Amino acid sequence: MNRTKTRVGLLLTVGALIFGACNTGRSTERNDATGDSTDQDQTAGSTAPVTLKLLAYDSFTPSANIFDDFTAQTGIKVEVVLGGDAGELVTRAALTAGNPEADILWGVDNTLLSRALTARIFLPYETKNIANLDEQAQALVPNNEATPVDTGDVCINYDVNWFNQRNIAPPLTLRALTSSNYASLLVVPSPIASSPGLAFLLATIAEFGEDGWGEYWKSLKQNGALIVGDWTTAYYTEFSGSSGKGDRPIVVSYASSPPAEMIFASPRPATAPTAVAALTCFRQVEFAGILRGTKREREAQQLIDYLTDVKFQEDLPLTLFVYPANNKAKLPDDFVRYSLRPESPLQLDPDLIARNLLMWLDQFTNIVLR
Amino acid sequence: MSQARTKYSNTAKLLTVLPTIFVLVFVIAPVANIFGKTFRDISLSLLRSGTIHEIIWFTTWQALVSTVIALALAAPVAFCVANFRFYGQRLVTSLTGIPFILPSIVVGVAFLGVLPSTLHRTAFALILAHAYFNFGFAARMIGNRWLQIHPYLDDAARTLGASPSRLFSTITLPILQRSILNTSLIVFTLCFTSYGVVRMLGGPSRSTIETEIFFRAMQLGDVSGAMLLSVVQILIIGSLFVVSTRFGSRDSRRASAPTISRQRRIDSTAKRFVVGLASLGAIGFTTAPLLAILVRSLRTSAGFTLEGWRSVATSTDLWRGLSTSFVYALGTLAIAVLLAIFASTATVFDERTAAFISVLTSLPIVVSSVSIGLGVLVTFDTPPIDWRGSQLMLPLAHAMIALPLAVRMITPVLQSIPAPLRQASSVLGANTWQTWRNIDLPIVRRSLVSAAAISAAVSLGEFGASSFLVRQNNETLPILISRLLSRPGDILQTQAFALSMILVVFSVALIFLIDTFDDFTPTNRAASDA
Repeated sequence: MNRTKTRVGLLLTVGALIFGACNTGRSTERNDATGDSTDQDQTAGSTAPVTLKLLAYDSFTPSANIFDDFTAQTGIKVEVVLGGDAGELVTRAALTAGNPEADILWGVDNTLLSRALTARIFLPYETKNIANLDEQAQALVPNNEATPVDTGDVCINYDVNWFNQRNIAPPLTLRALTSSNYASLLVVPSPIASSPGLAFLLATIAEFGEDGWGEYWKSLKQNGALIVGDWTTAYYTEFSGSSGKGDRPIVVSYASSPPAEMIFASPRPATAPTAVAALTCFRQVEFAGILRGTKREREAQQLIDYLTDVKFQEDLPLTLFVYPANNKAKLPDDFVRYSLRPESPLQLDPDLIARNLLMWLDQFTNIVLR
Repeated sequence: MSQARTKYSNTAKLLTVLPTIFVLVFVIAPVANIFGKTFRDISLSLLRSGTIHEIIWFTTWQALVSTVIALALAAPVAFCVANFRFYGQRLVTSLTGIPFILPSIVVGVAFLGVLPSTLHRTAFALILAHAYFNFGFAARMIGNRWLQIHPYLDDAARTLGASPSRLFSTITLPILQRSILNTSLIVFTLCFTSYGVVRMLGGPSRSTIETEIFFRAMQLGDVSGAMLLSVVQILIIGSLFVVSTRFGSRDSRRASAPTISRQRRIDSTAKRFVVGLASLGAIGFTTAPLLAILVRSLRTSAGFTLEGWRSVATSTDLWRGLSTSFVYALGTLAIAVLLAIFASTATVFDERTAAFISVLTSLPIVVSSVSIGLGVLVTFDTPPIDWRGSQLMLPLAHAMIALPLAVRMITPVLQSIPAPLRQASSVLGANTWQTWRNIDLPIVRRSLVSAAAISAAVSLGEFGASSFLVRQNNETLPILISRLLSRPGDILQTQAFALSMILVVFSVALIFLIDTFDDFTPTNRAASDA
């Protein structure tokens, strides 16, 4: 008799577990549906500090205590969550649109922007710093669908010493990379998940046209170009000019990578160990945005203001090695001295990108990865 | 009597309600949605593209080759185990049973560890890992059937002058034929839909349909392409499944085990050599990749390190992964076992219900885990039913994947209960519930433990559906492992291998539990006969 009792008890526990779990599930649903009212509840009885989740790509590495000021001013804490490369972030954000994994997303660039906007992953917001933001970058989001936070250029980088030692001229154009002089020297992050990789693919489309880029990539591949998963692997593992001391002296990276190599080297070398081929650059604009479905829209707006404000923007050049989007932000001297700002970077119409991106990636996969 | 029958069939119908609702909501609805969306804005251009043909072709041929190799590796083991009694036999049987129950991602990781990096992104690595995954299972299936061949048949043939090869081709092979065919079909299906192994070892250039669905949906952002592939996949597995049930149902699984064991003592050096070689080979092949995981969890290019294991204990990220996985395993176990009890009990009452349950619980097999993940993601995405972030979604999806196995562990035991036992109970005045509690439950209790263990094991290792549904805040062990491995850095790699080792240990512990408690599988019956 006792035994049957325990057994019934067990069944009941299991049942309770399931129903209890169902109930919590349903109650979170209700929170979602009526996000506003719960928001008020939280702020009304707010002794518990709000924590915002900022989702960013893996190489998002601002100064360690950069959000302390923000927390001091607003009482809002910031938790940075790294979620892979930019392409992956946007794809996941598109699939979770309306029910996001975080409150704010940092790092959608102009190559991925169309995908993000089609999937309506962001809530529009006009930041109070809007008057100071780069106008060209603003033009890409006329209705404040997202907020530009920095700009940069993706270019071919090369290991200066490697070429000097062998007395070979470094490659200066995209076309040059298919020459046998540079056979098996190039490493490229895959455009499928990596945003510099995608920028480079778009650079080749801008340079060789919609009909010519396929042939170009075929010859790149025949010439021994190595495609790796992400930028970190390409730059820090395979490239010979960085700390990883890999085998390949040519890499797709940023125009700001050479200053990074200089500024953080100790002792600082007399001449820059890496350099940029200015004719190969593609302009990248990065955006941040409030993820639609967040329960903390108001707090997230405050964070967007902070991200575009001078203090945070001035932190960017030496931590993320990008140019601030805020024109009022001062650039560090070292950064100005060593970095190169190409005058006429390669560009593609965002609408053209939006219409063709999937097809291009599909073709790329066919040509290069299979 | 007729009244009793109505009562029973009503009970049966009632019992099927709960499992039906769950399968309907979490398997059928998502898949129907995928089919609906795909056929509504149909873009068959993808189907015509060379890429897709190539992927389907690669998926097929790698599965074929893997099946052939797995069976070739299984044959000597099955032969030895079925025909001889030798020292270390139990060890061979239990060790070769391990790979099949390992999470597929762990098998992938193991071969990353054991193969040189030049072989990592090749069809060879993939096929070898598939063979590893399935050969022990194939050896068991065929070996068990072989054990059931009455030794007097062999003796009679020998007495009549048949040579060993003639004996094999005229007696053994024809009897084994059906079991070999069945096993091949299962192994082929498993290799065809394999996901974790391919994600780990294939890379972007070696995509199967299953990984391509993930690649399109989660990395390329081409959800409609992914859905189309999912439809293709379901249609192919569906037809394979129909074929296999046609073949399978007639197999003499219940062929009476011979009263005399056909396992004989080894009486010649030649036999000793063959058996020794086969069992040492099997043991080596089974353990080498597992040892590789252990070694790689302790070694970087710089030398020996405990850093990977230390961070398992100290890193909050990894710790959170561990606890998430265990909580989900418990949730899965609760849901799957409960549904399985209902479904299995329903099969006892009348045959039509039994047939219905059998089809119902086969659906999650036909729909691959990746398709379940994708389907849930694109179906439950509109408020008020937006379940994409619900903590309950993963245990539910895992429970759907575990349900077919759990039901198949409980049903045979329930059906083995002789009807007169229940009739006696009700004649003595017990109602249906009392009968179930006093007759069925005590008998089925042990298989409930097995069903729970297998559900937990499925959940711990589940990677396909999880790679769609897991989010930043609830990463499970397999997801953590794949993320760690995709990043550069020696320490991260050792962490991934350490987590894989943990999964190995728990999977083995769970399978041990199943082996101890599930006394109904033919394996154990054969073992206890021996």
